[in-house]
Amino acid sequence: MSVTRIEVRDLVVRYGDQVAVNGVSFTVGRGEHLTLLGPSGCGKTTTLRAIAGLEQPSGGSITIDGQTMYDSAQRRTIPTEQRGVSMVFQSYAVWPHMTVFDNVAYGLRVRKQGADELKANVERALDLVQMRHLADRGASKLSGGQQQRVALARAIAFSPTVVLFDEPLSNLDAKLRAEMRVELRELQRRLGITSVYVTHDQEEALAISDRVIVMNVGVIEQIGTPEEIYNRPRSRFVADFVGSANIIKGKLAGEGVFAAEGGVTLKAVASHRPHGKENEVAIRTAYIDLEPRPGDNHVPGTVRQRLFHGDFVQYVIDSALGPLIVRRPPTNLLDEGVAVTISFSPEHCVLLEA
Amino acid sequence: MLAAATAALCAITWAAAASAEGAAKLCDKPRQMEGFKTCADVAKAEAEGNFVLYSTDPEQGQAKLLASFNKVFPKIKTNYVRLQAGALYAKVLSERQAKSYLVDVIQISDMGMILDFQKRGGFTQYISPEMAAFKPEYKSTPEGFWTWGSVIMGGIAYNPKNVAEADAPKKWEDLLDPKLKDGINVKVSNSGLQHGVWYMLKPILGMDYFKKFAEQKPRAFDSYVQQYGRLVDGQDKVIMGAQYSGYIEFKAKGAPLAFVFPETGVPAVSETYGIVADGPHPNAAQLFMDWFLSPVGQQALAEALLLHSPRDDVPAPAGSVPLKDMKLLIPADWNAFEKDRAEFAKEWDRIVGARR
Amino acid sequence: MTLLTAEALRPRRNWQAIITLVILLVVGFLVILPMVFLVGESLNIGDPMSFPPEAYGIKNYLAILEEDVNVLVNTVIIAVMATVMAIVIGFTLAWILTRTNVPGRDKLERLMELPYYMTPLVGALAWAVIAGPKSGFVNQLWKGAGGSGDLVDVYTYFGIAWVMALFEGTVAFVMIAASMKSMDPALEESARVMGASKLRTTLTVTLPLVMPGVLGASLFVFAEMLGSFAAALVLGIPGRIYVITTAIWDSTLSYPPDYGRASAMGLALFVVMFGMLTFYRRVIARGSFATITGKAFRPRPMDMGRMAWVLFSVCLLYVLLAVVLPIAALVFTSLQRFATVILSQAEFTLANYQTALSLGPVRTAMGNSLMLGFGVASVGVLVMVILVWIIYRSQLVGRGAVEYLVMFPQAVPRLVFGLALLWAWLNIPIPIYGTLWLLALAYFTVMLPLGVRTLAGVVLQIDKSLEECARVCGAGWVYQMRTVTLPLLKPGMLAAWLLIFMACVRELGASVFLMGPNAKVIAPSIVAAFASSGTELTAAMALIQTFTVIVALAILFRLTRGVTKELT
Repeated sequence: MSVTRIEVRDLVVRYGDQVAVNGVSFTVGRGEHLTLLGPSGCGKTTTLRAIAGLEQPSGGSITIDGQTMYDSAQRRTIPTEQRGVSMVFQSYAVWPHMTVFDNVAYGLRVRKQGADELKANVERALDLVQMRHLADRGASKLSGGQQQRVALARAIAFSPTVVLFDEPLSNLDAKLRAEMRVELRELQRRLGITSVYVTHDQEEALAISDRVIVMNVGVIEQIGTPEEIYNRPRSRFVADFVGSANIIKGKLAGEGVFAAEGGVTLKAVASHRPHGKENEVAIRTAYIDLEPRPGDNHVPGTVRQRLFHGDFVQYVIDSALGPLIVRRPPTNLLDEGVAVTISFSPEHCVLLEA
Repeated sequence: MLAAATAALCAITWAAAASAEGAAKLCDKPRQMEGFKTCADVAKAEAEGNFVLYSTDPEQGQAKLLASFNKVFPKIKTNYVRLQAGALYAKVLSERQAKSYLVDVIQISDMGMILDFQKRGGFTQYISPEMAAFKPEYKSTPEGFWTWGSVIMGGIAYNPKNVAEADAPKKWEDLLDPKLKDGINVKVSNSGLQHGVWYMLKPILGMDYFKKFAEQKPRAFDSYVQQYGRLVDGQDKVIMGAQYSGYIEFKAKGAPLAFVFPETGVPAVSETYGIVADGPHPNAAQLFMDWFLSPVGQQALAEALLLHSPRDDVPAPAGSVPLKDMKLLIPADWNAFEKDRAEFAKEWDRIVGARR
Repeated sequence: MTLLTAEALRPRRNWQAIITLVILLVVGFLVILPMVFLVGESLNIGDPMSFPPEAYGIKNYLAILEEDVNVLVNTVIIAVMATVMAIVIGFTLAWILTRTNVPGRDKLERLMELPYYMTPLVGALAWAVIAGPKSGFVNQLWKGAGGSGDLVDVYTYFGIAWVMALFEGTVAFVMIAASMKSMDPALEESARVMGASKLRTTLTVTLPLVMPGVLGASLFVFAEMLGSFAAALVLGIPGRIYVITTAIWDSTLSYPPDYGRASAMGLALFVVMFGMLTFYRRVIARGSFATITGKAFRPRPMDMGRMAWVLFSVCLLYVLLAVVLPIAALVFTSLQRFATVILSQAEFTLANYQTALSLGPVRTAMGNSLMLGFGVASVGVLVMVILVWIIYRSQLVGRGAVEYLVMFPQAVPRLVFGLALLWAWLNIPIPIYGTLWLLALAYFTVMLPLGVRTLAGVVLQIDKSLEECARVCGAGWVYQMRTVTLPLLKPGMLAAWLLIFMACVRELGASVFLMGPNAKVIAPSIVAAFASSGTELTAAMALIQTFTVIVALAILFRLTRGVTKELT
């Protein structure tokens, strides 16, 4: 049995004249939680739906567990209901005219499971999401969070090996989202489900994924673990979209040396083989200290603005590199006008691909 | 000898011709029913269970007439369609074109259309034992294709409550009185009776009369029921070519009306009945014709629609003047009458301000 | 367990394509074929009754321009007058009921639906009785009060337009109210905050925003007025005013029937209506001012103070004129021997009702109409659900064509379509002419736009993901339709059923041409009675029809109340 569950190769999806997904390739391993992350319109949802069979691609191939689900060269496509993947929709898609029980049992009934086995499976699924006590309630009478759980229970009730998630938490308020995120991850780990997850919330993506694929206008910007994506963004887009970063313009001036505009020389690292044309470095706001540390790049500056965010404080520091945004723990607040030394490790000064 | 041979030859030829043309003949043993004789197969008619009549008479009257028939033969259900002559004929022809044979017997008040239909082979020949009582001018030659069911005549009617005795019209010419402008109604050009009125009065009163009549701005209606209704409620003052049977009917209901038989005479036409070829219930149709043309049926007609029967042995409807006391102006040449229709329709529509 | 082998690659798409093709063919046959016949006949310059036409030419069209110009002019004049009045009525009512704090708003809105139960035919009859010259009730009272001549005469251009507008006013009201309701209240509130008075806000903010909706409604109403038949038939002909629909009617009713001319007129009318409706659709599509969002705004109503009661009476006045007065007049007439409003002269009797109910054809006609309504609505709704699903939810290639075909009959005036069907079925060698089957076919076809529109509204509200989820759970198309789509559509299907049922029972335009002795329906029977029976009897028949429909609907509402309670 191969390690790869899902294989997507050179997928192209068109909407009329527009190309929503423009040649996307990736694999998903067994039991892996892969997230497609990007702004709206980047093609992540389209890709997901193509895997489910809800979108008709124009090119490429999709294979699940070694079975070809779609292949444009062979003109082969298997309809949604035969692909055996499960899906949780953004709007939950809980059927209002059925009870919670019937919602969850739907997939099992389609597969003509016997009454006892069906009951057992449904109750097991409901237990996993702590909704067993509401099994007989009409689905139209549930709150948003409850509907979400039912959708989840329904998705796993027939023990699928692959579950697709289409922004399942985006309709919940922030607190609930944070809680559900954790539960979701727990569930996925426990059942060993292979999941492909779509979200535009980068915080969410980083928190629960094994690997993240950052997408933009139909193409993949970067694939990696959350730490890789965060610490070693490859493009300006990734640096901007995931977490917050300062982008400094300049020129590569030798191995590990970056001559920034404004006349400052920085020690930098690259996650790719530099070819000399690179002209930007990214520095994460969270990795900047305001007191000099040995071995770091040091740049003097002045505090221009201070915004207290609760969990952190954000400063805007004027310096030779231009105005830099710095995020610090919310203690020992500095006043505006104070002189500081900006300090960041070369590890955190990442050369971006041009 | 030669004369005898010629006579015999003529007789044979004539007989042959007669039998070729009038291929049908009266059945041998007509069955005596209550009040009428029939050649129809009553059992088959009842098995057919249905009878459809298209007629120009008002719905209520048709319903009453058919109810009388249904009383005698409860097993035969009846249906009817009421349309004015032109519309009715158009409908019948359309149905035949569509090969939809829905009607058993038709009645049209325009002889021209009747003759046209006969030429097209639309009627089937059935010789009823009752037809013997009808004068030759009241039925087809050879008989059995169509027969007059009633005679209708058109005079002048007005409401004495709205028209002073002094102003009341007494002859056709009085209808040109400017006081009556915008207060006269007539029938639409589709009507057989109205055609008859025009056809018979034109040679007598001249085209000039009708030109002046147009200036009176008469209004045209589809049925005498509407015409008389408007006299009663005062919307109109006078009916030109008023159907006498309508007058009798409304008078019986207590309406304040007066009817005038101008000295010149009253134009009259027939309501002609015939069995339609390829009809859906041929036996019922024959049975109906026998009943209808008999004194019993004609009496039922008189009660239902206050119409005059062509038969001498049927009395005129209650409260009406009998036929023999009227000066009837009946077209002599029905073929010429038929040819006149198109021109009549055009002129009449212009007079009443209809579309064309 | 979950994955089926790749060999189970069923050619599902082909199966759905076959269904689409079949449906396209059937609907195309029903909708387009009669029109083809009509076009052919309009070009027939030989014997109007021969088929196929002996000679082709455009003489019929030219003849219209030569001889029937006054008919065309009449049609336009009356349509314009009626549209203006209907829009004024609709706008006033819509504004009062959505933008002001008139008391009893909800009840009033329900009352506004009432005129819909009065057909234009019944309304025209009633107004003939109320406002006819010399003998109309108003004029009788006028004369009794010492006036001379007529105060009102309904057999005029204005009279016809007035009656048409009264009943089309509800349609205008619904359309304009919808566009007013979907306006964001914040737009007006910001004007008020900046100091604009109520009047100024209305004139400078509300009105411009609502204009596209009003314009759209005007176009729609105008198109309907062009094809209106009942009022022109009852009120126009006695006044010698012919419009194009009554002219078409008239052409076919004389011997020899001029089908060629009638067809040419029908097509001319159709082309104009089609143009208007296309224009209307474009206006609506562009109307991005009042966008319809998922959450309906409840715009804050303006406080009108004591004026509110005046406005209340305005609404009541409309209901009075459109419903109460006509029904009362008809009841009054139907109970008399000879209709009069001078109580001293009145002779009351129930004879009219006795006659009407005993007239076999009336009973049969009413029975036929109810039966047709029931049958066409039931079969129709099922077929239309599938059609709607194909048009709005499937991925099939032909679905744009299906939508176009299905909406096509809306652009054809009912009368013209009836004529086309008449001519088509006179000449197609299947003998359904003059039978209830042809009427059923005709009703189904002309109700397609109504049913599809109603169901589409409901289908589009069903979140697509509800169906997709079923598919993801492994349900095939049929299973998904049965367990998810149809149950969710139940309220919509019911609404469509009721609308179609009512429309069938009231149908006049197509029925007049297609009836036969064994296939009588009620509305044309009333028209026939109007011609050949007295007003009193006709009034009785009209009331019998109106109340039978209301009773039938009340029963149906009762029976199905459970269904509508679920799924709000």
